[in-house]
Amino acid sequence: MAEREPVIGIDLGTTNSVVAFMQDGTPTVIRNRGSSNLTPSVVAMSKTGKMLVGQIAKRQAITNANDTVYAAKRLIGRKFSAAQTQDAVKVLPYTVLAGDHDDIKLQLADKQYSVPEISAMVLRELKLDAEAFFGKPVRKAVITVPAYFNDGQRQATKDAGRIAGLEVLRIINEPTAAALAYGFGKSVNGKIAVFDLGGGTFDVSVLDVSSGVFDVIATGGDTYLGGEDFDNRVIEWLVFDFAKENGVDLRKDRMALQRLKDAAEKAKIELSSSKETQINLPFISSPAGGGAALHLHKTLSREKLEELCGDLVARTITICEQVLTDARVKATDLKEMILVGGMTRMPKVVDAVKTFFRRDPCKGVHPDEVVALGAAVQADALTSQDSEVVLLDVTPQSLGVAVAGGYVRKLIPRNTTVPTSVTEVFNTSKDDQTTVKIMVLQGEAEVAHQNELLGEFILTGLRKARRGEVEIDVTFEINSEGIVSVSARDRETGLQQSIQVTASGGLTEEELKRIMEEQADLLLEARTGEELQTKRSELKALMREVEDLIPQLDKATQGSEFGQDAIAKAKATLENARKAFEGPLLSKVTESMDTLTRTISLFKGVLDRIK
Amino acid sequence: MPEMEKVDIPEERQKEILALEAKLNSNHFEVLGITAGATSEQVRDAFHALSRKFHPDRYHGRQLGSFARRIDSIFKRLVEANNILTDPDKRQAYLDANPFVRAAIRAATGTNPTLQPVAPKTAEEEARDAERRARFSRHPYLAKASKISEQLSKAKAHIAKQEYSHAFTLLNLATQIDPQNVEVKTLLNDVRKKAELLRSETDYKRGLDALNQGNEELALAAFKAAVNASPSNHVAAFKAATLLERNSGDIKEISAFAQKAVEASPNTVEYRVLLGRMLEQAGMKALAKKHFEEALRLGPDHPDVKKYVKKRWPF
Repeated sequence: MAEREPVIGIDLGTTNSVVAFMQDGTPTVIRNRGSSNLTPSVVAMSKTGKMLVGQIAKRQAITNANDTVYAAKRLIGRKFSAAQTQDAVKVLPYTVLAGDHDDIKLQLADKQYSVPEISAMVLRELKLDAEAFFGKPVRKAVITVPAYFNDGQRQATKDAGRIAGLEVLRIINEPTAAALAYGFGKSVNGKIAVFDLGGGTFDVSVLDVSSGVFDVIATGGDTYLGGEDFDNRVIEWLVFDFAKENGVDLRKDRMALQRLKDAAEKAKIELSSSKETQINLPFISSPAGGGAALHLHKTLSREKLEELCGDLVARTITICEQVLTDARVKATDLKEMILVGGMTRMPKVVDAVKTFFRRDPCKGVHPDEVVALGAAVQADALTSQDSEVVLLDVTPQSLGVAVAGGYVRKLIPRNTTVPTSVTEVFNTSKDDQTTVKIMVLQGEAEVAHQNELLGEFILTGLRKARRGEVEIDVTFEINSEGIVSVSARDRETGLQQSIQVTASGGLTEEELKRIMEEQADLLLEARTGEELQTKRSELKALMREVEDLIPQLDKATQGSEFGQDAIAKAKATLENARKAFEGPLLSKVTESMDTLTRTISLFKGVLDRIK
Repeated sequence: MPEMEKVDIPEERQKEILALEAKLNSNHFEVLGITAGATSEQVRDAFHALSRKFHPDRYHGRQLGSFARRIDSIFKRLVEANNILTDPDKRQAYLDANPFVRAAIRAATGTNPTLQPVAPKTAEEEARDAERRARFSRHPYLAKASKISEQLSKAKAHIAKQEYSHAFTLLNLATQIDPQNVEVKTLLNDVRKKAELLRSETDYKRGLDALNQGNEELALAAFKAAVNASPSNHVAAFKAATLLERNSGDIKEISAFAQKAVEASPNTVEYRVLLGRMLEQAGMKALAKKHFEEALRLGPDHPDVKKYVKKRWPF
């Protein structure tokens, strides 16, 4: 291998995303083509039918509220019927629809998209930024998700990566990534806590770090607690007062809602550095049936904001308490405390954290970038042979199966280091029961239906017997990414069934396939042109080299079986390369280049030895 | 060493993986390669050190062949061990359910009671200690204890030299001073057994010597004494039985010795066959058959079985 293929780490955030890589042993953020470190996680369809992603999409949001999607991360991997989805729909200016199997579709202009497709557009934008930076294609990435994401949300994020044309090496947890970036290259030893309050999600993790090993002891969080909720509190306050004064509900007007959201976010950010701020939204509403347009002028103080959001901050602290208990650690045992996410700039949050952990948070960690940097560290650790970093991550939520009576039997408790697997024996619950339905649940509730149903499958063909006599081994497996698979085996007959659990709110395999085929066209559009041309000429050169080598090898091996075999293979490779050369796909061209390069080095090696 | 697969792992590491895989069925401490009873911190340190070598991520994207499965099962096993030993409740439950692990901990901590070496005492300290001990030993309440411990230590010294009768006397004296002392009681029991065994062995050797010199009468007496001293000495019992048979002794007496030999060592074919034959001669056919069958099961090709058992029944 001449040069290592670039691998990137991506923080796919609720409001902003960041891409980073390992530059000579130092994790470094890659600026986007607009020279900014942060790319807004916003996707829009312009009036002229152009797909816009990032800053450019965010800028036109107010004038195009209907067709601009932001905060897609709050919806990814969720079911349409879920309470949190329904809450979100109320405050989102874009159209959220139900899909065929309780999944979520988003309407942009006249087309419907799944959530992973939208996230994939953001990912593709970051991929292109990285490719522009490296000057060559980037295929492999590590993507972060909130630690408290469940299996469905992780799968959906992975799907988004695949749609974007990335091989997702690993999905890792955001607080863990932050700890990696913090501890990388330092000789940190001891327990550290990461408090990650981002745009949409909250996580807190406790890690035990010892010379390169990052061992997550406990993690907890809320996937519906973040900056967006703080913004919504401000919006509600503005809307409520405005309704009282003017009798108009501004939320009914999508454009007004988008302007309110913008203003609320801006005000919240300003109040992190000043005590008071003005909110001015002229011509926010024109009353039905004519009359003068209405304006919104308000003053928001820091105290008022803190009052509006007090319970949100309190919720984060409750979760911190739980995690420290789980980790069997006292606040005073911690060596360091790291703050991650834009929301940790809010003075009230910092105060609450300081009081709870009884220490000042660590300085020198960039709250917006640290997660992407950590993802880059992990990407490097996975692909380089000599990395010193080992990440021991945990499963954030307990896993179990529903048992008779509507209860859950937990098989893998939360905070278990992954990968892990557990097998337990279950019995039939009725006489002559020939089928069992295995419902896989994730969550902490004792009662089955209060947990997230990850999936279900049916084991049939059990022998008829009295209740309790048929024994079934149920094996749960969680891989390094927190993705779950389950298998069930009838002990007597050896009958076995397994599933890779796919949340019913996610994409089915066929859907994913269809999207990827569609995206292949999209990819092609983005690619045809200069790059394909240069690659083609490089491919041609390699083909010529192989063609030259074949007769040489033939002569040198003197018709031996090995020689003939190798030549036949090389000819097949050449034929494939010819097809790729004529075809429109860049990926095929680069693939052929790789195989040809391997053939060349093999042939040269053989020739050298014979000489 | 089996031939190595062609995989992208250094050979040294492959060997380590195979070695660790081979001991995955051991107890949690052994899997982590630490002393039984190690502290939570020691467990975690060992787990981290092993994770550096055996976490599947260390082999990401490499050609692994069968090693992918091996590494996976090793790491999962390490996680299990770490989870149980670092959680006080789970550790307790594990030890309750596995008494042999608890025994291993006792053994480990017993043979190695202090982790930190004690600094050697100065002459002055030694003198002061001796003075203190002497003063305490004169105290009436402590006198008893000091007397017992003195006798105990003397008895132990005798045991080490295999002088069991001396030890026995001393310990007997000690039980008279304090009949409740558990240590003395168990040691006394121990010594009794050891003394018996020793006596039995000496008698048996005496018997063999006599046999070599052709004095069968003396030999028989010695073998009988050996069986009396320790009923578990089945070799002596068998010798006594065969000697008696050779001299056409009483069938009942021969059966009794054969019975003792079988009881002490139920899986020895010769004893079974001998007992079977004697019982048959005594007219107890059903019992005899039981022992022949057992002998046949234990060693179908044993010469005694071929000679005595197979002749009787054409199996």
